[in-house]
Formats: sequence, structure tokens, C-alpha cells
Amino acid sequence: MKSTLIGLFGFLVLFACDSKKKPSAEEISGVLDSVKIEEPAISEEVISDIIQQIPSPLEISTLLKEAETKYDKSHLNDPENISNYNTNFDKALALGIYGTDLGYTNIYGQNQDALFYLNAIKSLADDLSIGQFFDIGTIKRLATNSKNLDSLLLITTKNFNSINAYLQSQKRSNLSVLLLSGGWLEALYIVSKVSEKNPENEQLKETIGEQKIIMDNVALLLSFYVNNDPNIKDLAAKFSQLQEEFNKIEIKTVYREPTYEVVDGMLVVKDNSSSEIIMTDENIVSIRNMVYEIRNNIIN
Amino acid sequence: MKKLIFALGIILVTSTLNQAVAQCNTEKYIEACIPKLQEGFTFLKSYNIDGEGGAKNKVEYSYVFTKGATYQILICNDGQSTDGIVLTLYDSNRKAVASTKYQGSTLSAIAFPCQVTGIYYITYTFEGSSNYCGGSVLGFKR
Repeated sequence: MKSTLIGLFGFLVLFACDSKKKPSAEEISGVLDSVKIEEPAISEEVISDIIQQIPSPLEISTLLKEAETKYDKSHLNDPENISNYNTNFDKALALGIYGTDLGYTNIYGQNQDALFYLNAIKSLADDLSIGQFFDIGTIKRLATNSKNLDSLLLITTKNFNSINAYLQSQKRSNLSVLLLSGGWLEALYIVSKVSEKNPENEQLKETIGEQKIIMDNVALLLSFYVNNDPNIKDLAAKFSQLQEEFNKIEIKTVYREPTYEVVDGMLVVKDNSSSEIIMTDENIVSIRNMVYEIRNNIIN
Repeated sequence: MKKLIFALGIILVTSTLNQAVAQCNTEKYIEACIPKLQEGFTFLKSYNIDGEGGAKNKVEYSYVFTKGATYQILICNDGQSTDGIVLTLYDSNRKAVASTKYQGSTLSAIAFPCQVTGIYYITYTFEGSSNYCGGSVLGFKR
């Protein structure tokens, strides 16, 4: 509440100095949007722990490449859509989405496309005052040579990890949650699109079904902000509907003791447990359609 | 008054010394750790292991591991040593899956080919550690 009042006071002072200059709607929206929202009742530490759990979207991109599915730019959010994003809420979600798209282009070695995404990411990051994490010169240098793919992947992954840590330390974890939600949704969108094109690929369907576990975490994270942020409240309502679809899927696990061997000083575990995802094609279609709707609503 | 100033001075010096002892630069260990991921593994996360000079006996993180992926977790300290840092991996039911303390020796890494998607807890404890400080990285491959 205190920060809201300070923000509003700053806004009044800013425009009281020049009574002739009327603020534009965009300026008003920008200032109000930059006012920190009230912190959620839940501790930052708990939020940070849940954020840490969410798997990197890179894992899905890697799966798609390993499944020998072709690179398809049409599944990604066009970097030119950047002009659609005007509020911190839009920008944080878009940053997560573009982050996943960048990872996808990286995994497939599409460095020219990666550059377009890097530019969009840098611009959004600057707007959110987190541009300092992107040494765009180094990143571009790495991106122009496919031999540097591992370094590029490493540096961008590290940057996104650093951004999340920084936002949490700055008590702006709402942006971190949005970044993560956008990134996860985009990965789910891409795998859904690829699965739709390759209906015979059971592994892709299973990957969609497994997202039930992550869905629960993302919905939980958003729920912490619904009372303080109307934009997040709207988003959380849509995610909640998606969660209902995921709840129709059942994951059965059979636990068996693991076995071990030591190879070159490393403990190599043999996981003897197994799991089965019980779902129908109708479940996948419903989830897919809902994901398309939510994601397209965000990017446009 | 003199006594009061003296007492305050002692408190200040002790607190500064404590801070100096507790300072733990995990970043240098993490930087050294990333290149140690085996070929084919992609870096995912880095973890600070800061036992605050012994004030904490456990540092824990969690991550959703995905069925079909192999994860590698490395502990890094000075040289090849782990300085008594033990990594234990627990599944979502808090059942221990693996530990670097294995058959009397303390290893520095775990490779885990995951068969059940779920939340896993990555826990670091200290056994005879001198600095209570280290770094760790998580990588994966398909």
C-alpha cells in the first residue's frame, strides 16, 4: 500500500511541475504500471522455491529435436509483435514467450532467427529494467557462428536464471512469475502444435500430459497475486480452466528401489520405478485448444 | 561511558569477523563446475551451497525432473575435493533416491536417468566440512 501511495505521489509531482503539459494515456498507464504491486501474503522464499522447481522450456525443445521433428518458425511468436506489448504485465509475459522461442531456435541451430529473438528480448528486458543481464555484443558474436551454439545456449540460460534471481531479490517476483508462466505456456504451445502435426507420436502426447505437474505449480504461483494484481487475476482464471482439463489426466506411479554403479567417480543411478499417464486423445485435444486460445490471446 | 563504547566496539568487531568467516563466494565454484558437465549435457541450473559458516546444516533446492531425460548434478569445490558436502536426491515422496555418500566414499556427482516425472529434492548437507561453501550445477540430456 505504501509503495502504491509513493508511486501515485510521484506521478502527481511529475505532472504538477508542468501544469500545461497534459499526460498522455500511455504515460499515465506507464507510471501506474511501474508502481510496485502489494506483495503477496506468502513469503518470497516460498515463491522462490516454487519458481526454482519449474523445468526449463529448453527440455521440451530438446525433446522435439531428438524426436526428429522439423524446425517450424510458424510455431513461434513473431518478434515483430513486440509493439503489441505496452504494460509491464504484457512485457514480462512476452519476455518469457520469446525466451522459449530463443531456446527453440538455439536448439535447432537457427542462429539468424535467434538474433531477431535476442533483439526483441533485449528491448523488453530494457523496458523492464533488467537489460543489464544481456551483453548483446557478446551474444550476437556467439550467435553468428553455429560452432558457438553451446556457449550461446549457456549464456542465455544463465541470463534467464539471473533475471529470475534478480527480480526476486528486488521484490518484483510477480514479473518473475509472469516470465516463467509465459515461457512455460509457449513451450506447451510449441509441443502441442508439433504433436498435432505428428498425431502418431505418443511421446509428444505423453509430454503434454506430464505438464499436469507443472501446471499445478504455475497455477499456484499465479494464485498468490490474484488479490493484488487484476491482470494476473484474469490470467490465473484462464490458467485455472486449463488446470481443470489437466485434472482429467491421471498419472500412476510404481516405485521400485533404484540400483547403482560408480563410473569415473560419478554415482550412476538406475531408476527402476515407472509411471503411466492415463489420458485420452480427447483430453489432449481439449488441452491443446485451450492452450492455443490462451497463448494467442496473450501474443496479440 | 568508556565501558559502553568499548562494549559496542567489541560487538562491532565480532560481528564483522563473523561476517568475514561466513562469506561464501559460490560463484567461483559454479563457474568452475559448468565445464565439468559431461559432453552432451546441457546446463540447466546452478545452485549455491552456502552453509553460512556452519550455521546451516542443510541447503535444499527442488526441480521437476522429466521421464526420459538423464540429469547430471555436480558438486564443485576447490580442486577435486567436495569439502564434506554430500548431495542427496529425494523423490516427490521424500524417499531418498541416491546420495554421493556411497559405500564409504564421498563422490562429487550423480547421474540420474529419470523414469518418473515429478518434483525431486536436491539436498546438500555438510559432513566434516571446513568452509561450508561450494557450488553445484544441474545439466540434462535426452
